[in-house]
Amino acid sequence: MAMNSVIVAKNLTKRFNGFTAVDRVNLEVGEGEIFGFLGPNGAGKSTTIRMLCTLTKPSEGTATVGGYDIVKQAEHVRRVIGLVAEKLILYPYLTGAENLRFFGRLYGLREEELEKRVEELLDMVLLTRFKDFPVGGYSSGMRQRLNIVRGLIHDPKILFLDEPTTMLDPQSVRFIRDLIKELKNQGKTIILTTHIMEEAEELSDRVGIIDHGKIIAADTPENLKRKHGCSSLHEVFLELTGRTLRDSVSNSIPMRRVVGRI
Amino acid sequence: MMPIVLMTLFGFMFPTVGTSNPYSGKIATPYTHIPVGIVVEDGGKLAYNVADQFKQISSSMGLLDVREFASFGSAREEIVKGRLKGVVVIPSGFTESLASNRQATITVTMDDTSAQLASTAYSEISMILNMISERLSHTIIANLTPSTDTSYVIEPISVERKSLIAGTTSTFEFLAPGFMALTIVMGTLSGLGAAIAREKEQGTMDGILVAPVSSYAIIAGKVTAQTIRAMMQASIILGIAMAFFGVRIYGSPLLMMLVMILGIASFIGIGIIATCMAAEQETAMTLLMLLQIPSMFICNIVFPIEQLPNWLQTIGKALPLYYAADGLRKVIVLNANLSQISFDLTILLLYSIVTLGIAIPIFRRSLTR
Repeated sequence: MAMNSVIVAKNLTKRFNGFTAVDRVNLEVGEGEIFGFLGPNGAGKSTTIRMLCTLTKPSEGTATVGGYDIVKQAEHVRRVIGLVAEKLILYPYLTGAENLRFFGRLYGLREEELEKRVEELLDMVLLTRFKDFPVGGYSSGMRQRLNIVRGLIHDPKILFLDEPTTMLDPQSVRFIRDLIKELKNQGKTIILTTHIMEEAEELSDRVGIIDHGKIIAADTPENLKRKHGCSSLHEVFLELTGRTLRDSVSNSIPMRRVVGRI
Repeated sequence: MMPIVLMTLFGFMFPTVGTSNPYSGKIATPYTHIPVGIVVEDGGKLAYNVADQFKQISSSMGLLDVREFASFGSAREEIVKGRLKGVVVIPSGFTESLASNRQATITVTMDDTSAQLASTAYSEISMILNMISERLSHTIIANLTPSTDTSYVIEPISVERKSLIAGTTSTFEFLAPGFMALTIVMGTLSGLGAAIAREKEQGTMDGILVAPVSSYAIIAGKVTAQTIRAMMQASIILGIAMAFFGVRIYGSPLLMMLVMILGIASFIGIGIIATCMAAEQETAMTLLMLLQIPSMFICNIVFPIEQLPNWLQTIGKALPLYYAADGLRKVIVLNANLSQISFDLTILLLYSIVTLGIAIPIFRRSLTR
C-alpha cells in the first residue's frame, strides 16, 4: 500500500471461554481512507473494533493504531481515536451542550477552548438551536448527529463509526453520509461498520469482509465486484458469506434465577 | 430464600427466655450480664456494705456484671466508650444521712444511646437497691424510736435516676443514628451498583473508557458522587429525627461526618465487588439484599444487640455497620470525642482498606474484559 498505514493488526485474536470470536485477523487501514468493515451478525466486527479501541484486550496478536500499541500504549491510542458506538454514548438527562462538555473535559479540554469546540460541533450538525434541551427529548436523528460529534470532541485523527445510520429516516441518513464524506475531506481516517451494503459502496475507499472471526476479503468495492463478477457490493457480500440465515441461540445465559427469588 | 433467613433471624431475636416468674430465679428479660459500674464516693462503712450487697445480689442473679470504679468520671468515660451501660453512685454523705436517721439517696446514671436496654437495666438496678433498702428497713424498725422520720423507716435508701445528657431521652436517640448508618450503607451499596450498571447499559461507560482517563479516576468519581448522595440522605433522616422526634446533636458535626465517610468507605468496596462479580445487576442487588436485611437486625440498628444470642452478636459485631452506628450514636447522643470513638473508627478504616484493596483491582480488570 502506498499510503501510510494508521491501523495495522497482526494475527489479532480474541477468545471468550474457548469460543474464538476473532481469529488471527490481519488488517491495514491507510491514512485518510474510509474503510468499510462488513460482516454478518456475530462475525467478529464489534469485537475487532473494541480491541482496536482498547476496550477489550486481545487474547493473542498485536495491533497499532495511530502508531501506538493497543495494549502497551492504550492511553496514547485513546487520544487519537474517536468512537461512535452503536449504542449512543449520551446522557439522556444532560442537554446536548452538557453532554459535549462532559466528554470534552474527559479529554482535558478546558474553558474557552472547550466552549469553542462545543459551538463548532453543534453548528456542524445543526443542533445549536437545541443545545440547551435534554438529549432525552431529541429525535433519533438528532441524537445520532450529536452522538457522532461527541466522538469528535477532541478532534481525533481516526474515527470508528459503528452502524451510524441504522434505524434513521432518509433525511438523517443522507445528512450523516455527507458528514462522513466531509470528515474524510478533513483528512480523518474512518472505520465504518455497516450492514447497509449501498452505504459501504458509496462511502468506502476499501472494504474488509469478516466472517466467523476471519477476514475473507479486503479490497476496493470495484475490485471485489470485478473479481466476483457481481453488479453490486451487496451481491459480493452474499456470494462470500452465503445466503443462509445466521440464526443461533447463545447457551451462556447466566443462572440468575437461583438466587433471584426474594 | 429471604423468608427463611428472616424467619430464622426473628426466631433468635425474640427468644422465649425465662418467661416464668422472677421469683424462681429465672429472668424475665432477654438481657443478661449487663455491664454496670459502681462508684462509692462516701467513705463510711455502711456505704461499702451497701456496695458489697449490690455486687453480691447482682452476681447471684446473673443480670448485671458489676465493676467498681474510683470516680464517676472514669465510669462515665466507660459509658461513652460503650463498655458500660450504667453506673450506680453512692454519694458522699450517704452514711451520715442514715446515721442521723435521714433518708439517703443513691443516683443511677444510664447509657441513653439505647433507651430500651437502659430502662431494662435501670429497673434491675433499682430492684436490687430496693431489696437492700428493705433489708435495712427491717433493722431500723427493730430499733425504732418515736421521733424517727417515716420515709427513713420505710425507704431508707431512695434511688434517683440521672442521665448523661440533658432532657428526656427516647428510643429515637437509639434509632436515629442507627438508621442514618443503615441509610448510608444501603445507599452506597445499591447506589454504586446501579450507577455503574446504568452507565454500562446505556452505553456511556464505553465513552468514558475510550477516553484517556485512568480507571482510578473513574472509581474516585463514582465513589465521590455516591458519598455525597449518601450523606445527603443521612442528613435528611437526622433532620426529620430532630424536627419531629426531639433528637439533638450533642457532639461535633464534623466528627459525625467523619464517622459517616468512613462508614461509606467501609462498605463501598463490598458494593464494587458485588457489582463486578455478578453477571447481571439483578443478581448483584439480590446478593446485596441478603447482606443488608439481616444486618439491619443484627447490627444494633433496630433494637439492642444485647437481645441476640451470643453467636449472632459476634456476627453482628464483625460487620462494619455495627461500628458505623455505634460511632454515630456516641457522637450524636453522648458527645463523644475522637479518642472515645477511635476503636469504631479503626475498625471502619481497616474494613475500608481491605475491601477497597480487593475491590479496586477487580473493578479495573472488569473494565477491559
